[in-house]
Amino acid sequence: MTKRNFVTVNPCVMCQPMGSVLAFKGVENSMVMMHGSQGCSTYMRLHLAHHFREPVDIASSSLSERGAVYGGSENLKKGLKNVIERYNPKVIGVATTCMAETIGDDVPNIIQEFKEKAGIGDDLTRDIQIIPVSTPSYNESHISGYIKAVDAIIRHITPAGTEKTPNGKVNIIPTEHLSPADIREIKQITSDISGPYILLPDISDTFDAPMQNDLPKIANGGTSVTDIADMKNSNASIGMGLVNHNPAVEYLAKTYDVPGLHVPLPIGLGNTDTFFETLSKISGYQIPEKYINERGRLLDTMVDVHKYLYGVRSAVYGDPDKVTGIVSLMLEVGMYPVLVVSGTKSPNFRERVESLIREIQPDCETTVLDGVDFDTFNDAIRSIGPDLLIGDSNGKYISKAENIPLVRVGMPIHDRVGAQRLLMVGYRGAMELIDRITNTILEAKEMEGPKVQICPI
Amino acid sequence: MSVVNTLNERLPYIAQKQVKKGTSVPLACDNNSIAGAMSQRACVYSGARVVLNPVIDAVHLVHGPIGCASYTWDIRGALSSGVETFRTSFTTDMKELDVVFGGEKKLTNAIDEIIELYNPPVIFVYSTCIVGIIGDDMQAVCKAATMKHGIPVIPVQSEGFRGNKKDGYKAACNALKHLIGTKAPEITSKYRINLLGDFNVAGDVWLIKPLFERMGIQVMVSMTGDSTARAISQVHGAHLNLVQCSGSMTYLAKWMQEQYGIPFFKISFFGMEDLSIALRQTAEFFGSEEMKQIAEDIIAEENARIMPEISRIRERLSGKKAAIYMGGAAKALSLIKGFRELGMEVVIIGTQTGKRADYEQISYSVKDGTVIVDDANPLELAELLVKKEADLMVAGVKERFIAYKLGVAFCDFNHDRSVEFEGYDGFVNFAREIDASINSPVWKAVKQKVKEENNSHDTVMMEQVQICRELEVLV
Repeated sequence: MTKRNFVTVNPCVMCQPMGSVLAFKGVENSMVMMHGSQGCSTYMRLHLAHHFREPVDIASSSLSERGAVYGGSENLKKGLKNVIERYNPKVIGVATTCMAETIGDDVPNIIQEFKEKAGIGDDLTRDIQIIPVSTPSYNESHISGYIKAVDAIIRHITPAGTEKTPNGKVNIIPTEHLSPADIREIKQITSDISGPYILLPDISDTFDAPMQNDLPKIANGGTSVTDIADMKNSNASIGMGLVNHNPAVEYLAKTYDVPGLHVPLPIGLGNTDTFFETLSKISGYQIPEKYINERGRLLDTMVDVHKYLYGVRSAVYGDPDKVTGIVSLMLEVGMYPVLVVSGTKSPNFRERVESLIREIQPDCETTVLDGVDFDTFNDAIRSIGPDLLIGDSNGKYISKAENIPLVRVGMPIHDRVGAQRLLMVGYRGAMELIDRITNTILEAKEMEGPKVQICPI
Repeated sequence: MSVVNTLNERLPYIAQKQVKKGTSVPLACDNNSIAGAMSQRACVYSGARVVLNPVIDAVHLVHGPIGCASYTWDIRGALSSGVETFRTSFTTDMKELDVVFGGEKKLTNAIDEIIELYNPPVIFVYSTCIVGIIGDDMQAVCKAATMKHGIPVIPVQSEGFRGNKKDGYKAACNALKHLIGTKAPEITSKYRINLLGDFNVAGDVWLIKPLFERMGIQVMVSMTGDSTARAISQVHGAHLNLVQCSGSMTYLAKWMQEQYGIPFFKISFFGMEDLSIALRQTAEFFGSEEMKQIAEDIIAEENARIMPEISRIRERLSGKKAAIYMGGAAKALSLIKGFRELGMEVVIIGTQTGKRADYEQISYSVKDGTVIVDDANPLELAELLVKKEADLMVAGVKERFIAYKLGVAFCDFNHDRSVEFEGYDGFVNFAREIDASINSPVWKAVKQKVKEENNSHDTVMMEQVQICRELEVLV
């Protein structure tokens, strides 16, 4: 295939507003509204319902031709009013789409007008919090949308110039969306090691809700406004992710002197060690025996599989920080990440991945692609010929065409069940991922070669 | 009192048939969705995309930002018997600079690049919201590309905000008009038909075509399920159009009637009754006694073949209550009959894009007390499922998890199914799926749990009292 310059074939990213949904859905009693035409919200609902297998409500200001000509103020205000009447949320995130941005709506101002007319004040306990975030789809990707929304939530609920009362907690702020199982694991670890914590955004229940006797209008769970307002009082903030940083960590540091630390997503042995050490350092507590044992079991797992995985040439693709974490894990068990791809262009992705490989497995020749579509990825696959793919379910076409087994991680996973329960972080997550990788390889090998006779002739 | 708790502005869209004697169904419909009402509808682009996407050898190029292409990549569930070009997602991935300076140049270059690399027989270029706002002249770009390359590059005017999903259907039909009549028909029979509004989801068309072929009829194309650019360009050679998804394709059928004098019938290939009607009506149209006899033979043989299995399942489903929420009205109407054939009763029926005449027909077809709703939203659907004590809902992915969380069985009749529902074997598949979902043991577990939660306090108290009494007796 020749090089393409103009057409994108099989996208490896989602759009910015989708990132904001993934963030706002982690706030307790919240609703998101897409300021744009009806389709944006519906497509995202479909995409997320498919992945999480949960009902997903995202409101829309349902802009029509009239909105395109006269501006979307009237629709946005009406949408807010109707969402409040029907859902009575504590927080409404208003994310802009391409359309709203291009017709030039001043969203913060429209919200202000709406609040004045509806008599909604700024009291955190009494009033509905309406938080705008600018996320046109023609800029960046779902990764930036997530970061921007988390930042907007913290700045809105924790504005500068209020008083501080230390609370002895630690803030956890991921830079990329993780599965409900991952968030649950991070909460458990943090609580076991350093005690009280505030994690934003917490989608562990909202996107993986237990069956109840009724269906709540808004799924239970998520980080409460009270907790978000309390983030300024914490001992420290841990920003999870090194390829991208969440500016909210710096904001809390600058405005409220909450020391900010950035650690990699805790994927693999070394990254998880870093997370544990960081928590232990902040809190002054020892790592409990439970986790020492888990770590030991992970080492046991790594030893058990080391010969199966040594030198296995693999391609990994998806979101930059998750991919970087998986590369770490792969290197730790002796795999060769020969093709490493981020769908979203990120400033120091290439640098980070290359330095990891130099450090641990300098023999491995690696191609790093940054901000590419699946078609470009496919070209690279065909010239490099890896033995294994690791990434979301959109890689299934390449997997089938090139007959390369695929280990599904990340998002979207539309063609298998259990995406919400996939665990990748912590020692337990590393064990699960290593087991899945190894078993996929073993299964693929087993299907090769002649069949064993199982019946008498 | 309203049928369901909702926004005042939504009330005219929801009605209950004949609650008071003599009242008709005063159902509002065919309007833009209300802001903040959480409509289940998508946009104009989505309507156009779902109709055109199953054209298997076409390149579907989305002129817009990345999201519009990302979320619609291979979502249709339509199968192909040949190439699979339609399952690849193409987009111009417009960036801020394209928005500021216009996207025409990038579009032109993208089309050139696609033709050089893929050499497709047709390219459909979809416009999205942003294209409508910045005013790219897609018509001109497509016209120039068509002249330059000698293959049809067809603009689909589907800016998301210009109406709702059904306006997208129309945009798709307008795009198909560009292809129709551009090639001489290849004729193999003196009786020729087209199937309009069948999208070959899970291979539906492959269970229908052989029935007509046995009757000596040439099926020139199924639009658009498993169709090719070549086949579509020859459809003017047919004598009759059979329109299944009437919401999306009646517009095109009317145009073909005016343009080529081809009449059309609205039919359905779902359920035993509608299948019989479709076959008989077609044979009647051609007037051949031989064909009529073959149609009767097919109906008798096929009904006899599947009846034992249908009867077996019917016994297991008899008296169960169904809720229907569909994109289009045609499928909803056909489902009412299908459920009747399974001994089930419809208690809720709604659509995203029904028109006044559709709702009138729906109202004739359902029992008193049935709730009829246009452009429903999750809270309305959830409340109705509980109030009307539905045992099963048939709808799409977004509705599936609402039903599941309420402990209601579910059947996907949209894109997300892996078995055919049309034709005789398709109806057996449908019956088996309804049976599998309604009669699965999981609901027993779910309901037990729900019961415990509901009465947890009372139940515990009761048990304690019971134990105390037993102890007393023992003492």
